Amino acid sequence: MSSALEAHPGAASASEAVPTVKNRKLDQWICWWSLPIFYNLFGLIFVYLGKLMPPPRPGLTTDEIVAFIQKNAASMQAAWVLLTLSLGFASLSSGLIIVQMKRMTTSPVLAYAYMAALAVAALPGCLLCTTMFSLAAFRPDRDREIIALLYDLGLLSFVGSLGCFVTQYMVFAIAIFLDKRGIFPKWLGYMSIWGAVTELVATPIWIFRSGPYAWNGLISFWLGTLIFVVWEFCLIVSLFRAIKQQPLDEPGNHA
Amino acid sequence: MNITDQRICLWLVPGFGAVLAFAFLLFPGFFPPLSPAMSADEVARFYRDNVGPLRASMIVFNFCEVMFIPFFMVIVVQMQRMKNPSRAFAYSYLSAAASGATMFALADIAWLVAAFRPERSPQLIMLLNDLAWMAFITPVGFIIAQNFCLALAVYMDAQPKPVFPRWVGHFNIATALLMAPAAFALVHLNGPLAWDGILSFWVRIGTYVLYVAVMFLVVRSAINRQALEQRVAA
Repeated sequence: MSSALEAHPGAASASEAVPTVKNRKLDQWICWWSLPIFYNLFGLIFVYLGKLMPPPRPGLTTDEIVAFIQKNAASMQAAWVLLTLSLGFASLSSGLIIVQMKRMTTSPVLAYAYMAALAVAALPGCLLCTTMFSLAAFRPDRDREIIALLYDLGLLSFVGSLGCFVTQYMVFAIAIFLDKRGIFPKWLGYMSIWGAVTELVATPIWIFRSGPYAWNGLISFWLGTLIFVVWEFCLIVSLFRAIKQQPLDEPGNHA
Repeated sequence: MNITDQRICLWLVPGFGAVLAFAFLLFPGFFPPLSPAMSADEVARFYRDNVGPLRASMIVFNFCEVMFIPFFMVIVVQMQRMKNPSRAFAYSYLSAAASGATMFALADIAWLVAAFRPERSPQLIMLLNDLAWMAFITPVGFIIAQNFCLALAVYMDAQPKPVFPRWVGHFNIATALLMAPAAFALVHLNGPLAWDGILSFWVRIGTYVLYVAVMFLVVRSAINRQALEQRVAA
């Protein structure tokens, strides 16, 4: 958006006169490194400690749910501590994507929508899940029905928070298609549409308790997770290229 | 500047508005709204008897609930065109819009979790039902803040042809005030302020629908004017 650049003419020239850091892309590289670091940590938290990926079955009986929580209580609490310390750093990748989206020939409306959609996603799509599991693990001797409720709340919100991610994928795809500068490759836009499709195939998890459409099912969970991992990898690579190719003297770096 | 992206985000409103209206009509607990005075057994029976349409409605909401965010972001971009001392109100509006959508997502999850195992203990079904209605009806503070920020930005828009006409400021304040009483739904089991009451339910939701519809028209003409100005300037 041109007015975004014109509105702060002083910002660009002032920092050009007095460069504060030698590497003009240092902030973007710091944000970029947060992505591989965060997603490795994410794997540790959700796969190894939280036992949430792959998710346990929705068809467990109340007794089995309580046994599952009691057996894994300590590592679930560790998962909570790590996630509550680190989830905020997922914002760094959003910050980087906003900077790159604002370089596009589009207005910032899609970048803002991306930012807002991910701000929504942080709570119901991620933190709520481990909140529920750590509440269950905090007092594993709680009423068994309440433990089972926390278990459902945790897994359903984790796999079943769809709207925020659909909007995120959609505005990202639209931005890539409309952008005439080619900040991101067009195929990443098509992949983002596939990302939105994975949210669509996750809708039946709210109904089925077993089979391919349950929250641990072949289609709703495994296909969706596979496409997400591939998408995230391609996004990280595309961001790397976008930062590399960005000219150092580009105006608007400060918008 | 490109206008196409703003137009796309704008036209998501009638498209997804129709989908969300359909989901609203489909929900078995809105006509009339479920009473907060129902007993736990009555609430549990409601979930057992209406599990199909309830899930269908709330899954549609789940999928489409954030689709108005791009439209609110068009308002942010239009606010940035205003001749305000700074862009503080525009960014505040953005932030409040995201928080409001988060609360609705929470309500939707609570409804769907209650419907996921309707055989759960009635006390817990009632807890989820209360949580859903509270998160759906009472967190009006975000949209009130959005409207006040927008109204102030409109009033301070110091240019001969303002982005939005002045009455849009008054309209935003009026709609904010009409939605404010819903905050009291947390403390009333009966009457107009209860979550099924005339103020907390019908006035609040009716105002929201009216607000989105009017702002759609206002934003549409602002974008058209922006396109015209750019063509003249080019």
